[in-house]
Amino acid sequence: MVDQQSTATLVAVRGVEMQFGDKRVLEGVDLDVARGQILAIVGGSGSGKSTLLRLMAMLSRPTVGSIRLFDTEVTQIDDAAALPLRKRIGVMFQNGGLFGDMNVLENVGVPLREHTRLSDETIEQMADIRISLVGLDADAAIKYPAQLSGGMRKRASLARAMALDPEVLFLDEPTSGLDPLSSDAIDELVLELKNSLGLTIVTVTHDMDSLWRIADRVALLANGRVAVEGTMEELAKSDHAAAREFFGGRRGRASEHAAVRS
Amino acid sequence: MHFGICSGKVAGNAEIADEMVEGTADIAVSGSTARCTGRWTAQTLDGIEHRLDTIAWPTGPVRFDLSGVEFDTVGAWLLNRTARTLRRSGRDVLLEGADPAATRLLELVESNSGACDAPVNVHVPGMFEEIGRESEQQWRSYADFFAFIGETAATAAASVLDPRKLRWKQIATELQLAGVNALPIVGLLAFLLGVVIAYQGGTVLRDYGANIFIVDIVALAMVRELAPLITAIIVAGRTGSAYTAQIGTMMVTEEIDALRSIGIAPQELLVLPKMIALVVALPLLTVYADVMGLIGGIVMSHSLLGLSAHSFVDRLAEAVSVTSFLSGIGKAPVFAGLIALVGCFQGFQVSGSAEGVGRQTTISVVQSIFLVIVIDAAFSIAFNHLGI
Repeated sequence: MVDQQSTATLVAVRGVEMQFGDKRVLEGVDLDVARGQILAIVGGSGSGKSTLLRLMAMLSRPTVGSIRLFDTEVTQIDDAAALPLRKRIGVMFQNGGLFGDMNVLENVGVPLREHTRLSDETIEQMADIRISLVGLDADAAIKYPAQLSGGMRKRASLARAMALDPEVLFLDEPTSGLDPLSSDAIDELVLELKNSLGLTIVTVTHDMDSLWRIADRVALLANGRVAVEGTMEELAKSDHAAAREFFGGRRGRASEHAAVRS
Repeated sequence: MHFGICSGKVAGNAEIADEMVEGTADIAVSGSTARCTGRWTAQTLDGIEHRLDTIAWPTGPVRFDLSGVEFDTVGAWLLNRTARTLRRSGRDVLLEGADPAATRLLELVESNSGACDAPVNVHVPGMFEEIGRESEQQWRSYADFFAFIGETAATAAASVLDPRKLRWKQIATELQLAGVNALPIVGLLAFLLGVVIAYQGGTVLRDYGANIFIVDIVALAMVRELAPLITAIIVAGRTGSAYTAQIGTMMVTEEIDALRSIGIAPQELLVLPKMIALVVALPLLTVYADVMGLIGGIVMSHSLLGLSAHSFVDRLAEAVSVTSFLSGIGKAPVFAGLIALVGCFQGFQVSGSAEGVGRQTTISVVQSIFLVIVIDAAFSIAFNHLGI
């Protein structure tokens, strides 16, 4: 049921292994991200979800394996060659990753100021539009990261990630640490971005409700591999031990019922 | 299921994105039609941005032909902004030929453009307001500092009445960190200081043939003044900053709150052991610095003036009275208390994020070195009046 017509694969991960010291976090991950999809990466704590996201966003390099981003091999890429690719992706960090000495408006303007030759006026207006788009009000724009709540920081981080109209957005735990209302609002926002801007989104999450609401496809990481991949319905019905363990818990069931009812 | 519907739209989107519009962003006005072509994206728009402001628009209605253009959000905003300006000048503006993706982007910027129209007023305080705010903040930080001293004194008093409350293990650890580990750096710097003073004084004394008085110069300068001062400054930079950073980090990670919730007074566990350890360690370090400084003086006197170590030490007893020695050492516990208090206090002042730890650590070092020198000057004046 998820778009069969879409052919373009924006991110292709093949046989990726990642080792930190003696600890092997990823042991041969294969994963494709198709254009226009919301792909959710799920798994228990320490299953390497965030590591995989960082690898795909070119924030670290795998020990072994191949990652192709927009059909370019990025595992051995140098910084100069990576720059054009970096401009086509945006990353929203778990704790925002906002620059502490700049207010939100300046934070959101950084990519435009750095990579375009637009006038300051236009850059400021674009930052205002992004900030409004992620649902922050105008007062928040002149606040500093330390003055923002967790949810606002995530939104500001999202606004900055979108500054250059990226084709792929990577979201690291977009709803963790938020109250249910704020989580719902972030989910709505992600869906709206996908629909209005045609963004491709890769998200790492624990949040069952969020999975049911936004994910087109879900990849479950277990034992350093993608154990199961499919739509939420497929995973919830899957007989795979890891999937049963992950989605069969009381919280998983509750979210499923809620999703079916809605 | 609602994401089924979404995915249909996305497939359409992908097709649109695949038929890339070639060429750089351009706009051509002929008659009442402005034809936009090329890719209007953040990376390619800088030329267009300035041209849009200077273009000679027709006086009547303007029709934008958008059939040959590919937008990103920045491009859509520039067009939207231009259309608004034209509308505001009383022209009718028509946007035609936009593909669905471009239409969506135009709607998106239109619906979020309110943020640009209502610029937020940033309140810039005037000079008097700034002076007022700064004074109030300074006043409050002094009040907090005195409150902190009081709290520490109360904890100390309770511990004196009940010595079992003292954290001996912590005190031993702090002694190791602040005292023993500081020996190499304090020793080296005091030795070099002794060398420098002997060199500076020695060249003058040699001209007068008063070689033996080099002992008086080196010994008095080191023992009375320089050894206590340099040791205190090193310890302020080394240990005071560490205190602030440790306590500050614990503030950020809520460890201090955790201590309070478990029923352990942070003062008792963190401040008092540090304070006691430093009050013990700094005088000892100062004695060590005295000795190392004198050794430096001996080495330099020997090579510069040919004064033997034996004569140097012989003269030492005459040059430095016990009072002089004690007046140097006596300052050390005061400096130690000050450094520990400022270091710990600034640690507790950390709020917010890791950034605050760095800021407060800097303040802590600057303040404690400043205070050490001020107190040292006060001691000099007091000793002068007392005739010591």
